[in-house]
Amino acid sequence: MIAALLALTPAEWETLWLSVQVSLLATAAVAGPGLALGWLLARREFPGKLLLDTLVHLPLVLTPVVVGYLLLLAFGRSGVFAPLLDALGVEVAFTTLGAVLAAAVVALPLVVRSVRTAVELVDPGLEDAAAVLGAGPFRRFRTVTLPLAAPGVVAGLMLGFARSLGEFGATITLAGSIAGETRTLPLAIYQGTQAPGGDGAALRLTLVSVLLSGAALLASELVVRRLRRGSGEGQT
Amino acid sequence: MSALEIRAAVRRGGFDLDLDLSLGRGVTGVFGPSGAGKSTLLHAIAGLLPAEQMRVTLDGELLVEGARGQGPPAHERGVGLVFQDHRLFPHLTVERNLRFGASADRGVEFEEVVDLLELRDLLQRLPRGCSGGQRQRVAIGRALLAGPRLLLLDEPLSSLDRGLKRQVMPFLRRVHERFELPTLMVSHDLSDLLALSDELLLIEGGRAAGQGDLRTITTDQSAVELLAGSGLSFSLPGRMLRRDESGLGWVTLELREGRAAPEVACAQVAAEEGDDVEVILGPAEIVLAVPPLDARLSLTNRLEGTVERVTRTTARCLVHVDCGLVAPVLAEVTERAVERLKLEPGTPVVALFKAQASRARALGSSRAPSAGHSGQPR
Repeated sequence: MIAALLALTPAEWETLWLSVQVSLLATAAVAGPGLALGWLLARREFPGKLLLDTLVHLPLVLTPVVVGYLLLLAFGRSGVFAPLLDALGVEVAFTTLGAVLAAAVVALPLVVRSVRTAVELVDPGLEDAAAVLGAGPFRRFRTVTLPLAAPGVVAGLMLGFARSLGEFGATITLAGSIAGETRTLPLAIYQGTQAPGGDGAALRLTLVSVLLSGAALLASELVVRRLRRGSGEGQT
Repeated sequence: MSALEIRAAVRRGGFDLDLDLSLGRGVTGVFGPSGAGKSTLLHAIAGLLPAEQMRVTLDGELLVEGARGQGPPAHERGVGLVFQDHRLFPHLTVERNLRFGASADRGVEFEEVVDLLELRDLLQRLPRGCSGGQRQRVAIGRALLAGPRLLLLDEPLSSLDRGLKRQVMPFLRRVHERFELPTLMVSHDLSDLLALSDELLLIEGGRAAGQGDLRTITTDQSAVELLAGSGLSFSLPGRMLRRDESGLGWVTLELREGRAAPEVACAQVAAEEGDDVEVILGPAEIVLAVPPLDARLSLTNRLEGTVERVTRTTARCLVHVDCGLVAPVLAEVTERAVERLKLEPGTPVVALFKAQASRARALGSSRAPSAGHSGQPR
């Protein structure tokens, strides 16, 4: 497998690097909203909660092509937000930004679910104790809820990263498959299988994908274990 | 005397708490059957439960005011709450737990609290490495360091077994002696409360059912109904004289004035010679006799006095006997005994009890346990 990595062509290296970049950016982009939404769904009751819950989780059950098409309708060149994007000078469709957006939207529900479950497992009594000690909502979240939910949060982010890495349908619909810009690993592999003589490239990139995803899972598991030890889990 | 005024109305589901209290600056022991609203009161004062109405003033100064579920959030109330289950942050060391709410301008010194509660050796441990009694001491220290104006203790001892309880109680006394914080302490264990509080507040069904020191409260019929059968006990202050060969501890009881100080024998003694102690007795263990007494009687613990008051309830009668001691002797007898002995205020009686029925323990902070005795992590 190492040999396969070493034998990558410059174009394939570029694809790998682009994939990692897109996935990291997508994960970074969903971290904030994922934490906020996960906490909100775990800890607060408000009108429209069910609707928000459904909306956030929709990309999980919709086929990614539909997600991509909906994003295109919203952010495409003649989409709903086109005037706004024009004013800002930002282009989404068929750009790297579009690939990041597509990956982020499909990764979001995974992050939200993990964060929500992790926050729900934190004893609200500890947050009450922090409140009585003078900690406002933000400090309670930062010093009590987040550290105790950290293993779940990290696991969620890793899951989101892995999902971004594998994103295909939404990406190709919103961002197309432009080499060096939006052609991430899955798109390049698909391209390889379609083009005559592309089997070698497809195989090499497949191996790279397996390695990368496996490494991400392993790293996540190690980090989660470390956090669990630190957060006092297993307390009697 | 009423330094602390609390007006509280809380509605939760079908439960309705409605209290209008004037309390002293000391430790108020809140007692009542489970579901009476004791914890609800504390949580509502702390801001963890919405209240229909909440107004707390201390020496005329407004501490908390809120109405219709609104009010300052918990983190702005300056009220300390120690929970039954300690609620230490499991991911933080004891030191970081203690410092969580601490701020320099609150006038409570970190070092002082650490020394007072004997936490020095625990500072770098995680809570899971501490015993139950140690955790509860950390929780008390953490609440103190946040510099509260009012301290609320919600069953601080109930998660501890008897041995650990005995280790934590002297610390609670010390805390009060040192910081003189107005304190509300909830417990379903009457003897804990009697040992630690200056006055009792009885709550039943969300309403106050009696208030005052033990002497006052045991003259109230409804209060006696509630207290009797809950392990009502009373204490007589005195001084530990000696321990004899058979293991009995001999205590002279403290008198109001004149007369020869009576000596009594106690079977269970947790004190050394010369200690100030309290002799703890249950009213049900006291036998009343009208003199002259037959000399051929095995009971040597005899306290002569006169009946001060008889409080009748449906099931029993509680007789206050003035024996010249600083506190009355309480005796629980049947209605029939009251009639047969013609007990009424002024009747001369002798209160008798067996050494086996009494225990004596050292008072106050002079004999607090050292941290080394606090047991292993459980």
